[in-house]
Amino acid sequence: MNFINKKTISVALGIAGLLLPQFIGFEGLEPAGQLALGIFLMAGIFWICEPIPIFATSLLIILLQVFLLSEKGLFAGSLLESGYTPQSYKDFYGTMASPIIILFLGGFSLAASAVKFGLDRTLTRFLLKPFGSKPQFVCLGLMVSTAVLSAFMSNTATTAMMITVVLPIIAQLKEGDPFKKVVALSIPIGANIGGIATPIGTPPNAIALAALRGQGIDIAFSTWMMLAVPLVVIMLILAWRILLFLFPPATDEFKIQLDAKINTSPAAIISYIVFGLTVILWVTEKLHGISSSVIAFLPIAALPALSVLDKKDIRGFSWEVLWLVAGGISLGLSLQHTGLASWIIDQVNWSSLGSLGLLIVFGLVAYGVANLISNTVSATILVPLAVGLGVSGAAGADFNMGISIVTIGVVVSLSMILPISTPPNAIAMSTSVIESKDMAKAGIVVGVFGFLITLGFSLLYWPLFIK
Amino acid sequence: MKKIYILCVDDEPEVLLAVEQNIADLEDTFPILTAESTAEARTLAKQITSEGNQLGLVLCDHVMPGENGVDFLIELDKEDAFNNTRKVLVTGQAGLDATVKAVNEGRLNHYIAKPWKAEDLVAIAKDQLTQFVIRSKMNPLPYMMCLDAEKLAEYIRTDGSVTDR
Repeated sequence: MNFINKKTISVALGIAGLLLPQFIGFEGLEPAGQLALGIFLMAGIFWICEPIPIFATSLLIILLQVFLLSEKGLFAGSLLESGYTPQSYKDFYGTMASPIIILFLGGFSLAASAVKFGLDRTLTRFLLKPFGSKPQFVCLGLMVSTAVLSAFMSNTATTAMMITVVLPIIAQLKEGDPFKKVVALSIPIGANIGGIATPIGTPPNAIALAALRGQGIDIAFSTWMMLAVPLVVIMLILAWRILLFLFPPATDEFKIQLDAKINTSPAAIISYIVFGLTVILWVTEKLHGISSSVIAFLPIAALPALSVLDKKDIRGFSWEVLWLVAGGISLGLSLQHTGLASWIIDQVNWSSLGSLGLLIVFGLVAYGVANLISNTVSATILVPLAVGLGVSGAAGADFNMGISIVTIGVVVSLSMILPISTPPNAIAMSTSVIESKDMAKAGIVVGVFGFLITLGFSLLYWPLFIK
Repeated sequence: MKKIYILCVDDEPEVLLAVEQNIADLEDTFPILTAESTAEARTLAKQITSEGNQLGLVLCDHVMPGENGVDFLIELDKEDAFNNTRKVLVTGQAGLDATVKAVNEGRLNHYIAKPWKAEDLVAIAKDQLTQFVIRSKMNPLPYMMCLDAEKLAEYIRTDGSVTDR
């Protein structure tokens, strides 16, 4: 066995990152900040090089925080002496039960029952029908259906389901028809964009919302949708036109099989009702005033109580995604509490950039990084820095922290250049009708336009909601 | 990443060659090994697992000098490391008794009668490997292009083996 490989080198680098501040003792950083910086460096290296799965890194973060930074940790006494009040270990553990995680858990319950009774598939048939059989409208229909579903389910599960819908379409098309590429690309693009639409659409949204909440900015489910849905609609239409422009279809009509059979067993009906009711209560949060995280427990409890979900279904939830997000939120806590975020921010003179320049820099970095690594991780690393920038006041009075957080949360979902950029992209490659360069072409054009439109939203539209 | 191997066993070199040529398209993703006897096959199977890889599919003849194919498959099935391995008989000479024995005691997954059609062999191999990936609860993404993408997509949808990140 050769012990010097990518994995062992990444692990060694990560551990070096963890210890580095202890040896160097960065100036201007309290002992707690030095510890937090070590954790931050290690997490960053592990998340980027992935010697262990990204959720495992999130768990390590919580472990290190509890042992090194909490009031029950190894250094609680010496940290107190240095003038730092350690956080309760419960704060770190509590991230796994934070309102945003419960909101996601509610989404997972709904998605699990939808998949169990084929509601996702039935909805797709129903949504696709009005789009007829003209290729360009079928493409729009595929994108809209994918986006709608991925707004409430995971982007990956939605893509997987839609791939089973489009493979027969692709098989039906003539060899060499560019429309094959349009069909194959419309799914991941629709899923990536659709995830932006609701708070539970995709994990980076959770990172953004948790950070906003931490700063006392409470965004209702419906408010997020008002921020995001117009952007999603514009992006979908734009991406649709881009796809048709890049790969003009050679067919003008084809058949698409839509046998919409609805599962009408009692359990299925109950699941539809719970699904509908929850979604209605979520989007009307402003009317009744009950927080979406409170409503989220309705499906979590009701579906098992009504025997719609059994213990196997609950085990099947993507718990590792929740841990990934929880670890990210937890890291954010220490970044703020130890003053590390402000310290990192202080290393650069930001005021020269101006508030628009800052937004562009954060957006570009988030977009670039998210193309290469996990979207959630990209948001996790960058959002606390935006918060630090806002809190420290280093960016000047006209820097809108809330909007910069939302911008980061949104642009990471627009990163879709490479097959590895998002799992939906990777799944779409399996259709064997697109090459990496097709994906890159579409991804770059959609990304560039998406970035500019997001910037427009953050300057003109979002300030109406986030002061 | 762990590799998934295909193992072909037949005492006639020309048959082995034909099998190997038929499924050559799979070779980039699933390395193919060949053995001219069950003894050789056993050594190769052990070697695969000792290197940390997996044996995904065995395409095995029945009548061979020494131990026959059915007995080999039954014995293979008893070992934990090869429990999920898909077992296929490729033969013209396995009688009813031997075949029934292979099904009942060796959990035979498929029976291909000689002579076979190339496209059938490829389809069966793909289907069996798809089942192997699903039953071994592996990450299906690296195999979707080569195997049954629809079945593997359905597996992702229901099993959450790939998630948002």
